[in-house]
Amino acid sequence: MFGGLGLVLESLQGFKIAAYLDVSNETRRLMWRLAHAHGTLLAVVNILFALTVAARPPAAAQRLSRISTTLVAATFLLPIGFFAGGIVVYGGDPGVAVLLVPIGAVLLLLALFWIARGVE
Amino acid sequence: MMRPFAGVRNTENLLLPAAALAVAAGLAGGAFALSGAPAAERTVAIRPIQTPGGGYVSSDTCRACHPSEYASWHASFHRTMTQIAAPDTVATPFDGVTIEVIPGEPIRLDERGRELWAEFADPDDRPSSDPGRNGGAPGARITRQIVMTTGSHNQQIYWYATGGSRVLGQLPAIWLTGERRWIPRRAAIMSPPGAHVSETGAWNGVCVACHATNGQPRLDAPFGSRPAAALTADTRAAEFGIACEACHGPADAHVRANRNPLRRYALHFRVDARDETIVQPERLDPLRASQVCGQCHSFWEFADARAERTANASGLPYRPGDDLAATRFIVQPTRNLDTPIARAFVQADPGFVRDIFWSDGMIRATGREYNALLDSPCFRDAPDAAHTMTCFSCHAMHKAADDPRPAASWADQQLAPQGMDDAACVRCHTVADDHSHHRAGSPGRACANCHMPRTTYGLLKTIRSHQISSPSVQAALDTGRPDACSLCHLDKTLAWTAAALEDWYGIAQPPLGDDERGVAASLLWLLKGDAGQRAIVAQAMGWDAAQQASGSAWLAPYLAVTERDQYDAVRLIAARARRTLPPFRRDALPRASPQLLLTADGSFDAARVDRLVRERSNRRVVYRE
Repeated sequence: MFGGLGLVLESLQGFKIAAYLDVSNETRRLMWRLAHAHGTLLAVVNILFALTVAARPPAAAQRLSRISTTLVAATFLLPIGFFAGGIVVYGGDPGVAVLLVPIGAVLLLLALFWIARGVE
Repeated sequence: MMRPFAGVRNTENLLLPAAALAVAAGLAGGAFALSGAPAAERTVAIRPIQTPGGGYVSSDTCRACHPSEYASWHASFHRTMTQIAAPDTVATPFDGVTIEVIPGEPIRLDERGRELWAEFADPDDRPSSDPGRNGGAPGARITRQIVMTTGSHNQQIYWYATGGSRVLGQLPAIWLTGERRWIPRRAAIMSPPGAHVSETGAWNGVCVACHATNGQPRLDAPFGSRPAAALTADTRAAEFGIACEACHGPADAHVRANRNPLRRYALHFRVDARDETIVQPERLDPLRASQVCGQCHSFWEFADARAERTANASGLPYRPGDDLAATRFIVQPTRNLDTPIARAFVQADPGFVRDIFWSDGMIRATGREYNALLDSPCFRDAPDAAHTMTCFSCHAMHKAADDPRPAASWADQQLAPQGMDDAACVRCHTVADDHSHHRAGSPGRACANCHMPRTTYGLLKTIRSHQISSPSVQAALDTGRPDACSLCHLDKTLAWTAAALEDWYGIAQPPLGDDERGVAASLLWLLKGDAGQRAIVAQAMGWDAAQQASGSAWLAPYLAVTERDQYDAVRLIAARARRTLPPFRRDALPRASPQLLLTADGSFDAARVDRLVRERSNRRVVYRE
């Protein structure tokens, strides 16, 4: 989904859409680029995590499920927060939906922490 | 079984890399924080410097939260009013250029990396008895670094480092941006022929007040009180050019308060939110709002020597939102000509009022629009604040997001969409369809062409009078100020105008002399008028609307005569106007047109032309531009 957003942004750039490119929309441009970057990279993190799951003992399934849920939540909250925060902007400030970003960031850090703890 | 991260035994092993990462981040953060400090600027010793402080934070700080406003300001000529000279800020190349606009005094320009240099005759190397360039020998040749520029819209002036502290000298030639050519600096000013006046120290002592943000001259003696060579200065400004804080006031408190995101979002969500930590000029009452512009766009003086000393040391005390009149004497002949301060100034300089105001008190020099506003009925007689004309009735300092014009087009006059055409006027004025007595769509139908004629002069051109008025033959007779009708109907007499105004608006015709009844008003001003009047009419002769209304075949000979005017500025304007005309054809001249001083066979009535020229007002005209 967020990989596809990159295609949308490229189109906005290519067709010189003012709502994206005008200098008054600098904050929107930043937010949507961040949404694309975070969404895409977190998708990759999820894939890598999924690859490691197969290598874990079955006993760790419950813990892995908790990590997976947290990671997926972060994967949605972070880019969606950026994207929605860019829909309505106030000069250099994004819209309030950007508050989803720190929540997503905390969940991401939590997931990474649990993953790190589980490494032996 | 595969073991992911097999090399890592436990989290303790991460402590060392984590510590290293923290140290690296700390070092990078420190370097990043320091990179914002203008260390390089502080080391400059040969020119004025930019040092934010005293509550000023600079436009770079504003940009982070106000990108759109920053961008439109960045596109404006306010920003480029003062720039540090460099190959990318000068309006014309400097590399290997020789300027030969001053006879016998070539100016050689050069680029040395990012530095600009000039070799020229020293403007300060002239004996005080020297009658000037026309009679005196050129000064010794000097080579100086060009360090700063003034302007970029109409012309660009270049300042060189004198080597004496931060005192700047002025290159004796300037660049006309529109015509893309060099002219002598003294030719750019409406002043009689004569001595070249050195302007060394002028930027430090005068220009800094309005061509920089919170400029502080810091001269060791008042400008003009001692020879330029003996002057030293530690001139500073919060920022070069007219930046955000020139109009919004020092922003340090605003920036600090709004580091708190909760405060910002509380402001975003409040209807009609007003952030009391910063001044929004448009939200001030009409007088104070206009004073924000008036701090520079007015003719003012220090009320006393103490005020001047204070401004010299720490900059002008006015801050946006203050009462401008509390800290300055705004010269307004209709209101305060008979005050002790004004009388003292006039006594010291007889041209103090005469050179900048028409005799009825209307401003006649560019850059003093606040004076004009004060005496405009739309401001002076407005019934309430909502119906009071201010600068913002027509102008916008930031291009609106929905304004479809390119930034360069907006920046030319910084007109707001609601200030273009007749939009600003019709917000308050409802007039009958036949009010103007001109056909729809014609130039005579536009409010501004009748009520804001181009009778204000500066920067080698005329601009619209910013004092709203109605065409008046009586005022033209009393003051010598060309009326709006005659500046378009160049071929008509004042009697014709007076008759039309009586017929259309019931304005009684004033008594007129033979010339006013028999010769086109434009020609009377062009041939008999003073240099200011000649410049106004010469420019009108280049106006396409006037050429259409009056015919253009007869204009070229008069402009050709004006191109030999003794005032450089008048000559330049006449030449510019003549370039707008089709090639001259004698057989196209109107026949038997006495008001144009043309005889029945299409030749000029030389005797009458000569007589009018002999009657010319040769009073010394010096505009305080």
